[in-house]
Amino acid sequence: MIKFRLGKGEEREILDYSNLTFFRKLASKMRDPKTRFDVKEFVSKGEDYLFNYTNKNVGSVDEKRRKFLKSLIFGIAAAAVVGIIPGVRVLVPPTVTVTTGFPKSLLVDSSGNPIKASSLPVNSPYIIIFEYPMTGEPNFLINLGDSSGKPVEIQPTKVVVPQTGKTYDFPGGVGPNKSIVAYSAICQHLGCTPPYIHFYPPSYVNPRQLTASEPDQLTAAALLAAKEANVPALIHCDCHGSTYDPYHGGAVLTGPTVRPLPSVILEWDSSTDYLYAIGSVGVATYPNGSNGIPSQDPTDDLSSSFGSPVGDKTTVTETENPFSS
Amino acid sequence: MGVSDWFRERLGLDDLPFFRTPDYMYNVNYWLGSLVAAAFIYTVISGLILLLYYNPEAGYSSTEFIIQKVPYGSVILYSHLYGAYAMIILAYVHMFRNYFAGAYKKPRELLWIIGVIMLVLTLGTAFLGYSLIGDALATSAVDVGEGIISSIPGLSIFIPILFGNYDAGDYGRVLAWHIIFVALIGLLFAFHFFLAEHYGMMPSKKVKDKAPAVYTKEEWQKFNPWWPRNFVYMMSLIFLTWGFILLIPNALAYLNGLPQQLNPFLNPKPAPPPNSPAAAHITTYPPWFFLFLYKIADFTSDVVIFLFIGVIIPLLYLILVPFIDRSPYLSLTKRRLFTAFGILMITYLIQTTIWGDLTPGVEIPIAQQVMVYLPPAIITLVGVFVMPAKTNNKAIANPLSILILLVTSILFGGALVTLIASPSLLTIIAFTLFTLVFILSIKNISPIALKIEKQEQTIITPEKPRNRELKKKIAEVLISILFIFAVILASQLWVIPATGYLSNLFGIDLGLIFIMLGEAISLYHYVVYRRD
Ligand code: FES
Repeated sequence: MIKFRLGKGEEREILDYSNLTFFRKLASKMRDPKTRFDVKEFVSKGEDYLFNYTNKNVGSVDEKRRKFLKSLIFGIAAAAVVGIIPGVRVLVPPTVTVTTGFPKSLLVDSSGNPIKASSLPVNSPYIIIFEYPMTGEPNFLINLGDSSGKPVEIQPTKVVVPQTGKTYDFPGGVGPNKSIVAYSAICQHLGCTPPYIHFYPPSYVNPRQLTASEPDQLTAAALLAAKEANVPALIHCDCHGSTYDPYHGGAVLTGPTVRPLPSVILEWDSSTDYLYAIGSVGVATYPNGSNGIPSQDPTDDLSSSFGSPVGDKTTVTETENPFSS
Repeated sequence: MGVSDWFRERLGLDDLPFFRTPDYMYNVNYWLGSLVAAAFIYTVISGLILLLYYNPEAGYSSTEFIIQKVPYGSVILYSHLYGAYAMIILAYVHMFRNYFAGAYKKPRELLWIIGVIMLVLTLGTAFLGYSLIGDALATSAVDVGEGIISSIPGLSIFIPILFGNYDAGDYGRVLAWHIIFVALIGLLFAFHFFLAEHYGMMPSKKVKDKAPAVYTKEEWQKFNPWWPRNFVYMMSLIFLTWGFILLIPNALAYLNGLPQQLNPFLNPKPAPPPNSPAAAHITTYPPWFFLFLYKIADFTSDVVIFLFIGVIIPLLYLILVPFIDRSPYLSLTKRRLFTAFGILMITYLIQTTIWGDLTPGVEIPIAQQVMVYLPPAIITLVGVFVMPAKTNNKAIANPLSILILLVTSILFGGALVTLIASPSLLTIIAFTLFTLVFILSIKNISPIALKIEKQEQTIITPEKPRNRELKKKIAEVLISILFIFAVILASQLWVIPATGYLSNLFGIDLGLIFIMLGEAISLYHYVVYRRD
């Protein structure tokens, strides 16, 4: 570096070493016949030509600076690559955890105490709901009785799926009188949920309901079907009038639904009188594919897209009494 | 320079007929195509990764599987979606910029037509890709699409060819066509790119104000060689684009409970499956890039008329415009009618999209259609024809003026729709206000462009070397800071869980690193190459 001393330790820098190499390089390029500096052009175009020329032949930034900057850029690029490495895990196929089964969930009331089977009211007009197997999937809990209000033993039966003609086994009722059943509260027609779909106790299965307003109306077809099937009570959906038979595994009484209500398998512990939900039978609640043909496998509902599993407890709630009179 | 020279020799880069670039073209304005290409490349790469996991026989559940179970699957999936979104938006910007620049004129007609075809293919690919999710929205979009196709006599044979057994939950056909369309875009892109390099980028109107606007071989020789400067510049743009494609959707993934109107635009997550009870509660709307078509379908019950208004006429116009607009002039005021058409196309596109978003599937009587579409037409035509002519040869359409025009036309369209939906004193005032702003922005498009042109000129006059040195020093310091941040972020990436709620942070962080890399390269470009 060439410096110029201004007395008392003050120095003025004149020529940095890198500047010196720069000029040397420029001068040699100017002399080189291949890249000769065109003086005529310089006169006519002035400074612009000089800038252009220098940049093209020598580069305005010296090598050292350029190298340093380049190393920084490569550093950032390397950081990006290093950062991506954990992302390469995307290529490692995840071990597919097959949903092996349903959770076993104890039915509890809103304060967390287990529900006692023998204290469940028979033929309750209230909509009694618990979520199972996933959060957001409501099911009815019903203690079925006859028209005089005495509990009725619900027999195991074969349920037909009208859409496919296939059948499956419904295990029957549980509890001290084998009268307690649980069905999905999602209508199999287009998915209406309570209060539009709910249980009609025997006292409400009569012509008075024909003129009632939603959500406790019954269709004439539903009344007729109940009479023909000889069942005192039914589950009915106000949306489009689908009717299900709670005494026979939620079988279809009237359309438009073409699928029975899936049932939740209950377990009753006679020593404690507690109730557990342990699984489902029937078709999947949510049909696969958009043609609406349900999967034969109810475990399809365990797909995470429908919520998370309810866990080992699920709360039973009495939502409302839909009947106005 | 060793590495750079090595590549130069191996790849024979100097012998390739790549365009040599003049200094003033190192400006995004001239590089919009590379942004589209960057989005395309990103979407292809992420799509290939998704292909490893997607099972067309169970579209919805494999989409859910990718989001929930595949390590960083949601990062890949969301950014794939937004890569496509970015590609569509950037393609529109690229197209309209070139439309206003007159880049479709001789000798670039073929380049332009291929570009328009690529836009159509891109929209088609996006529609097919969107359908692959198999959620309630995709199913209803396909239903609408099928409805449109099948109501034209003779066309219904294409439905099974295109969609296969879609209704039965088999998306094999859709996936295949999705990939075939991408392959076609890739082929056309190669063609488009080499044509662009062959003619070179459009010179500024200051330099050539008449078609054919190309630099001669002699002029060309004086410019900067393609390698390595164009490459460096391109890299900075590519990484910036990739960064935003990763950053935005992964950040949006943490946004919950968007109002319905924003959902089609901002939500990267799939809707519920079509047969779950939740599906009954959502309003169905098509993907945002087809909202405009969805709205036009509400205008008339005649599908043929609908197709003519919504698809065939605009498309034919775009393809034929190089042959209709035969004048050699590039300036906007020398082809006022075409300028007006361009502005109207943008305005209508945005207006109709917003309309479709606000009133999905609501039928619109003719009187209301006229109310909405006539005023912009009158205002634009009047505005364009009162543009002062003396600014002729300097008026250019740059992204800023187009952006301003876009914003004001959006506001104008929005105000108009609100006025019609709920007429009140407030909406009338708002409408008048926005109309004024809109008129002003149209009238001003030429002066604004002129002003910016002037600014550019002042920049071009060399500043004081000392000043320039200082700026370069600052740029160097910035690169160092970016380096430090990039290293910190990169180390953080290692602790982000691969699945679950936090996994999208990976996309955010990686996006930020890409943005830093792009920014650093662009600063490097400034330090090393800029002389002005
Ligand atoms: S949804 Fe229940 S009958 Fe239609």
